[in-house]
Amino acid sequence: MPSFKTPFNGSAVKFSPYYETRLAVGTAQNFGIVGNGAVHVLDLTPGAAIAQVVAFNTNDGVYDVAFAEDNDNLLVAAVADGSVKLWDVARPPSANPIVSLQEHTQEVQAVDYNPVRKDSFLTASWDDTVKLWTIDRPASIRTFKEHTYCVYSAVWNPRHADVFASVSGDVTVRIWDVREPQSTMVFPAHEMEILSCDWNKYDDCMVATASVDRSIKVWDVRSFRVPVAVLNGHGFPVKKIKFSPHQRNMILSCSYDMTVCMWNYQIEDALVWRYDHHTEFAVGIDMNPFVEGLIASCGWDELVYVWQHGTDPRAF
Amino acid sequence: MEKAIQRQKILLQHLRPVSSSASSDISASICLAGDSAAYHRNACFGDDVVSVAAYRTPLCKSKRGGFKDTHADDLLSPVLKALIDTSKINPSEVGDIVVGTVLAPGSQRASECRMAAFYAGFPETVPIRTVNRQCSSGLQAVADVAAAIKAGFYDIGIGAGLESMTVNPMAWEGSINPKVKDFQKARDCLLPMGITSENVAHRFGVTRQEQDQAAVLSHKKAAAATASGKFKDEIIPVATKIIDPKTQVEKNVVISVDDGIRPNTSLSDLAKLKTVFKKDGTTTAGNSSQVSDGAGAVLLMRRSVAEQKGLPVLGVFRSFAAVGVDPAVMGVGPAVAIPAAVKAAGLELNDVDLFEINEAFASQYVYCCKQLELDPEKVNVNGGAMAIGHPLGATGARCVATLLHEMKRRGKDCRFGVISMCIGTGMGAAAVFERGDIVDTLSNARRIQVNNQLSKDAL
Repeated sequence: MPSFKTPFNGSAVKFSPYYETRLAVGTAQNFGIVGNGAVHVLDLTPGAAIAQVVAFNTNDGVYDVAFAEDNDNLLVAAVADGSVKLWDVARPPSANPIVSLQEHTQEVQAVDYNPVRKDSFLTASWDDTVKLWTIDRPASIRTFKEHTYCVYSAVWNPRHADVFASVSGDVTVRIWDVREPQSTMVFPAHEMEILSCDWNKYDDCMVATASVDRSIKVWDVRSFRVPVAVLNGHGFPVKKIKFSPHQRNMILSCSYDMTVCMWNYQIEDALVWRYDHHTEFAVGIDMNPFVEGLIASCGWDELVYVWQHGTDPRAF
Repeated sequence: MEKAIQRQKILLQHLRPVSSSASSDISASICLAGDSAAYHRNACFGDDVVSVAAYRTPLCKSKRGGFKDTHADDLLSPVLKALIDTSKINPSEVGDIVVGTVLAPGSQRASECRMAAFYAGFPETVPIRTVNRQCSSGLQAVADVAAAIKAGFYDIGIGAGLESMTVNPMAWEGSINPKVKDFQKARDCLLPMGITSENVAHRFGVTRQEQDQAAVLSHKKAAAATASGKFKDEIIPVATKIIDPKTQVEKNVVISVDDGIRPNTSLSDLAKLKTVFKKDGTTTAGNSSQVSDGAGAVLLMRRSVAEQKGLPVLGVFRSFAAVGVDPAVMGVGPAVAIPAAVKAAGLELNDVDLFEINEAFASQYVYCCKQLELDPEKVNVNGGAMAIGHPLGATGARCVATLLHEMKRRGKDCRFGVISMCIGTGMGAAAVFERGDIVDTLSNARRIQVNNQLSKDAL
């Protein structure tokens, strides 16, 4: 399967919820430390090469991207300068970004579009907050401030329109219901910073967390005394995790150890597959919601790979 | 530039992590009960395992008491029948019956239990099995049923306990493996229970005086409970026969009260008793549990099923823990098991309003209460095994019946109850019950240090 070289270091990759061939990649110059950023919208072509549809540039690194769920052309980007930018792929780069929302006081690390109500999205920031936005309003609807250190991820529950989970460097997971004034649940999931989380698409009580302690833990939020599963195998902090949209027991992860791993958390020998195609930190992953087993990853090696699970990402 | 340094710092911390102490004050609470719980204080969930009925027979002195001529299965069947009669459930809905029983030969006792179920009116479709965790078998049976309901094996089950120490006295059959002499702990498993009591008294400095005091108190409280009719709620009278030892005449009787309680027991009487196990020891017949016959049974089901049937909830089964301790001082079991079970329920010791701790021996009972710094007002408020008796396999189920009915009497102010006992060969078991849905949240309210639950408007 093909790969695509971006000018900057990758930070995130997402498949479109509308087109099975489309994906977006967020990148940042100089590993996101200093410099510009860019969002690339890519298409998988029948010839199996990856073609760029459009690219948008920013004045600071792009740390995350998310496709809108209610508009096939809309894209949200989390930018390191604290801004949240909306892009319309149907318009030329000169007309973009259509909106730039400047509220976060520090780097925005993650963005997640509500998949149930499809009208809002969350951003998680190093300013310790999570913000809730809708695209038709110029300001955020709500700020969730309980974490005491950088929030690295905030992810909507795939079943409940008002429920989301956030994870932070303060080592806690918080479960929120936007109808409630405070987080409805908080539990320390790891001994060290938690970098990513995701909900199981088939079990609305199951959430997985990935940590600097190199482990991935799967939790049932109804009884979080002990994790449902602990997945050990990454040699460095686990940067992102994602539950499979097609199989309830599969989790994809990527890590500072430069590998991308597929796990089956329900079996004892949980590590199903390890991909070592990246030559720098692997920092972005996604699974195609239309094609079962189609995986994308990006890394600090400026490469985006798209491949079928079980095959060699470099074989092209 | 400062920004770049800050970004580098945050990324470097991922790669060179220091275990964060930022949120060491946050700890996951375990069950949904309790004020320290993460959400929803009076947690009533459909998949809670609840007890809707718990009964016991009277406990009678073995070989001399009311059940000396009663078959063991005739002790079990009345309590099983009582569960069905009072709850009015269809017996065929019961998914399993688990009976804790200790001394009787395993297979024979399993058969007797199966027969007892038939006597009680259960159809052949309802299975039954026995469980043996020595003195906690009755509690283990209840815990096993609760676990099976939680696991979804069935919705309704019965945990019971049965012991006729008249029929099956404590004994060792066959020879002892000579290998034990090389294994200190294994050898200690063979110690008579009384010796382990002496060990506890000696090792932890429990005096004869303290032990006799505990025995007197146990008798006094049990006598008061009997006199005031408290046990009437939990005791199922048993119609049986008794043979006059002199005339050999058989007489039909209905046994409805415990016959081991001696209201007039006094310190001076007990002080006269000779020690049994050790010449200069402290354990006497008076400050040990009584050898008895009896049975108990607890009907458990998912809360959603209880609600469907309109059955009032007697208590929610919150947690259970069994632990191991040194066999030579097996009596310390509750001192280890209670904190484990209370922790597993997401509670702290002082959240518990009532304790039912089996008084195998005054020595271990006194030690455990002291060790855990329990409020005497909360422990064995209706007496314990020294007065009422300790039919090994039945004791756990007996305690559940006694605890739940006492919690019911105490009403709103009694929310959490704990049952615990030590176990021969060095173990302890404990369980936490909650008086779930009848609890009035107001009367259980505790002072809130920081008021963060109010809406922003109110602040």
